[in-house]
Amino acid sequence: MSTDMGTIIGAGMIPMGKHRASSYPGLAVPAVQQALRSAGLSPSDVQSVVCGHAFGGMLTGQRIVKDIGIGGVPVLNVDNACSGGASALHLAARDIAEGRADVALAIGVDKLTQFGGGTLPLVEEDPEVQRGMVMPALYAMRAQRYLHERNETPELLARVSVKARRHGVANPFAQFRKETTVEEVLASRPIAEPLTLLQCCPTGDGAAAVVLVSEKKRREMGTAGAAIRASVLHSGKATTGFRNMLTPEITYHSAADAYEAAGIGAGDIDVVELHDAFTIAELVYYEALGLCARGESAALLRDGATSYGGRVVVNPSGGLLAKGHPVGASGVAQAVEVFWHLTGQAGRRQVEGARRALTHVTGGGISGMDHGACTIHILEAVG
Amino acid sequence: MEDSVTDADNDVPAGEAADDAIQPFSDLSDDGHDDVTVMDGNVFLRAARSASSGVEAFPARPVCPESGARDMQAIRLGPEAVLHSYSTVHVSATRAVPYTLGYIDFPSGTRALAQVRADAGTLRCDLPVNLCADDAGTWWVEPKESAA
Repeated sequence: MSTDMGTIIGAGMIPMGKHRASSYPGLAVPAVQQALRSAGLSPSDVQSVVCGHAFGGMLTGQRIVKDIGIGGVPVLNVDNACSGGASALHLAARDIAEGRADVALAIGVDKLTQFGGGTLPLVEEDPEVQRGMVMPALYAMRAQRYLHERNETPELLARVSVKARRHGVANPFAQFRKETTVEEVLASRPIAEPLTLLQCCPTGDGAAAVVLVSEKKRREMGTAGAAIRASVLHSGKATTGFRNMLTPEITYHSAADAYEAAGIGAGDIDVVELHDAFTIAELVYYEALGLCARGESAALLRDGATSYGGRVVVNPSGGLLAKGHPVGASGVAQAVEVFWHLTGQAGRRQVEGARRALTHVTGGGISGMDHGACTIHILEAVG
Repeated sequence: MEDSVTDADNDVPAGEAADDAIQPFSDLSDDGHDDVTVMDGNVFLRAARSASSGVEAFPARPVCPESGARDMQAIRLGPEAVLHSYSTVHVSATRAVPYTLGYIDFPSGTRALAQVRADAGTLRCDLPVNLCADDAGTWWVEPKESAA
């Protein structure tokens, strides 16, 4: 019998966007309440809380849950850049697996409008940041290399945004809900060449929450849900030398471990939410997650294999490009999205018959690393 | 007190061994302008190499990032490198835009992030570049054919 890492039986998310009038608790409490309500549980049932964020400041999790009467239980705050929320889910799954809790709450939240726009603030003491590194530039250099090695043009990159925006139209929680075209994407203003504005995830605020329960608790409740079959967290490996920018080692290794833990392969996955912070990322991650062979990501996208009607629907939510990317919220928001698909609650954007899902977020922005964190979860419909 | 833990070299108890090896690194003490040196008109980056592992690192640092050995020795990288990839950045909260960044690979295999100065449209991946610097210690790379 495999380890019980918990089953998500309740989930909530606020619409991503610019919520300047909201505090961190103001963003997260509605998501937490929705998660508990949909799980059929009350705040007093929660035995463990983990809150992922990057910019919330001290005691973010406690500031949220104290407002709905949760107290006296362990509350852990975790920063892992963009992987903060998924790391919170990872730790909540550990609490279930190691018997510390039968009911655990994972929260992801961040408020990027507090910075007034522009690129994500990175750690200023990092030597590459001191030399001008910003996240769009890192992805842009990957894109430049991809176009060079694969003999492609920016038109391919733009197709990723077009797909993301098309998916986002059917998602009322998405920050952008309007379709776009290749021409419009390429004509938007340059951010870090070859990436244009519509190839970059937006600045925004958001929060999401999921309730995990042990299998014993789930059976008592007789509830359907999304069981966690793999929860993998990697830190990557720094190098001072050559790094293949099209081979994100941290995602390759995390994916291999996740598939092994779940006892399935990439071909068994019906729906994927992956870290498309910039268009190039989606193409590179198709290959790293094993959705196609190396060198075949362009064809996979062009063939429509990663949209509705294709072999595996990637980012039905619209992904970070359309749904939005409030950093620490994203990993949990991905879990909310696939929970809805695995339990038939995704509405107009439902991936029909979805039984297995994969979520993937990285966390980057320090020199010498592909990324500083990568979290992959594989979930399966149960009940 | 025969069982007390002591420093193997000098018998100083660990609780009193606030020696040089345990002092924090002064790795914020310069602004990057000490990264570069000029010899015979050629520009080099000041880097470091572990005597035991051979691993190189730029910027120079006191500990080998592969083995943890405290045996890093000063080396120079340059003046020639190859531009692996690059991007011209148009958004920044802290510096004037546009500016161009690139990853450059030295013949020894060590990689550095560099500012790139070049005429529009002249850059491509795998382009040979030369290190350049001004009197203030600011350094950048230029395509080899246009470098002085």
